[in-house]
Formats: sequence, structure tokens, C-alpha cells
Amino acid sequence: MTRADYLALLFAALLLPYLYVTQWTGDEAGSAISIMNGSETTQVSLAHDHTLEIDGPLGTSVIKIEDGRVRFMASPCLGKQCIHSGWLEHAGEFAACLPNRISVAVLGKTPRFDSINF
Amino acid sequence: MNNDVKKCADAPTEAPTNTPGSITLKTTSEDHLIAWLAALAIAIHIIESVLPSPLPGVKPGLANVITIAVFMLYGWRTAVWVSMLRVLVGSILIGTFLSPTFMLSFSGAVASLIVLWLASRLPGEGLGPIGLCLLAAMAHMFGQFYTAYLLFIPHEGLFKLLPLLMTAAVVFGIISGIIVRSMLQHLDKVAHDILPPKRNAQES
Repeated sequence: MTRADYLALLFAALLLPYLYVTQWTGDEAGSAISIMNGSETTQVSLAHDHTLEIDGPLGTSVIKIEDGRVRFMASPCLGKQCIHSGWLEHAGEFAACLPNRISVAVLGKTPRFDSINF
Repeated sequence: MNNDVKKCADAPTEAPTNTPGSITLKTTSEDHLIAWLAALAIAIHIIESVLPSPLPGVKPGLANVITIAVFMLYGWRTAVWVSMLRVLVGSILIGTFLSPTFMLSFSGAVASLIVLWLASRLPGEGLGPIGLCLLAAMAHMFGQFYTAYLLFIPHEGLFKLLPLLMTAAVVFGIISGIIVRSMLQHLDKVAHDILPPKRNAQES
């Protein structure tokens, strides 16, 4: 092992944590949410904790905003996919209740993407 | 003197150039060396291509053991030959020539050869096998990653894979470095007179 070998190892040892930190964290925290109820869209700030009750075709969905996060608390649908989506906090995260036609998207400063095609 | 003349006169009858229409390529001993080493690297490349991989782009890269060993023993130029022949012939034999797999493998090989060229310019004692393998493996990964990003999947989300891919490159780079080191030690011990090492000739 030469001195340059140790430098190469040091370089790798520093580069890996740098990559993990820059690529795997630092997701932008959401500042507001956009609630789509049927074709209507409303924007709500994430700054204040409160609970929203939204009426859809099936009944009332309950959406809770707390500590800059948002989640579905209750829904009249069968699958409860929206509730299982859990807390959303990063810009670009999304939860939807298709039976009740209600969806919640977290907004950031820059919109990430609205669809991905392969 | 007489002997020399006789040898020259005998040479055409010995060489198989007499058949009309046949072309005999003149091969140097360096050509033979490159061909042998490239064949070795191609064999490893093909065996390795059969191994299952947990993630596209993650592979032990054992064929690069040959590239690095050749680089250390015979210099950068020979390493370029062996590495490029491996990528080309390996892909033709597997059937991936000019496919995305080939592009990734080719760009990775070019990137690691560039790093090896830079390493050959280092002052002092330079890099040993482990440092060379490590840097070459990382360059290989960056090369193929950017090719994948630019040509095949131009989406920011691909960068989420980079930490994992680079970790694999570092681990496999160090492992192949250890293999190259023990290989060279063994060669030094056993076959010092069979393989003429150019290591010292290049440095001076």
C-alpha cells in the first residue's frame, strides 16, 4: 500500500457518505397542499395545524394537517388506500382516495413532476 | 556472416507466404501478448455475464483484474488494447454488441482507462494495485452511470441509485485490488523470467 493508495481509500471513504447524504436526504419539505375534490382544486397552507372535512360523492373524508405534514384520517371508501398512505411531508408526495374522488398533493417551491412515463 | 545470408535465403521457403492469394499478417510478440491477455479477460467477462446481479450495473468486474494487472506489468497502452478488445469481443460473443449493455460497458471501460492514464502520470511511487483497482472501479461506475443517465434514463430519480452503485463499485474495486496484488506477488515469485516486466523500464 503506497501513500497514494491510502489517499484513494480516503477519497472513496469520503465520497460514499457524501453521495448518501446528498442523494438520499434533503427532500424539500412541503409548504402547502393542494386538495383536489372532483374537478375542484384548493390550496391549503401546511403552516397551521387543523383538520379538514371534505365532502365527496361517497361521504366525508377527514384530512389532518399537523407539524407541516398531512394525512387522511378517515374516509368512507372501502379500500382505505388513502389512509394507508400515511403522513405526507415532502414536496411531490401524493395520496388519493379514488372512490371518493379526493386527492392530496404536497407542494414545494418547485413542482417535481406530475406524471412519469416509461 | 555466411550463416546470416543463409538464414535470409531460407526464410521465404519457411514462411507460409507461397500460396498465391493468401495474406500473412506480421505479428509481433506484443500482438501475441495482447491477444493472450485479452482472451483471458474475455473469458472472465463472459463467465461473469452469466452471474445474476441484484441491480443492473452491479457486477464484480473481475475482468478488470486483468486490465489492472496488464497496466501494472506492461503499461497503459497494452491495458487499453486488452480492455477495448475485451469489451468488443466479449459483447460480440454474448450478443450485446451496440446494445445498451455494450454502451455501458464501453463507457465504463473508457472512463477507467482515462483514470489509469492519469494514474500513470502520478509522481513518486504512484498507486498500488488496490488504489488503482478502486479508482478504476469508481471511474467505471461513473462512466456507465452518466451514459445511462444521458442516453437511456434521463431522469433525476436515477441519482437515487448512485450511492448504492458507488458502494458496490468501492467494495468490488477493493476486492479486485486484493486479487491483483496477490496475483502480482505470485507472478513475481513464480514466473519472473517468463514474463518480462516493463514496470521498471517505463518508470525510468
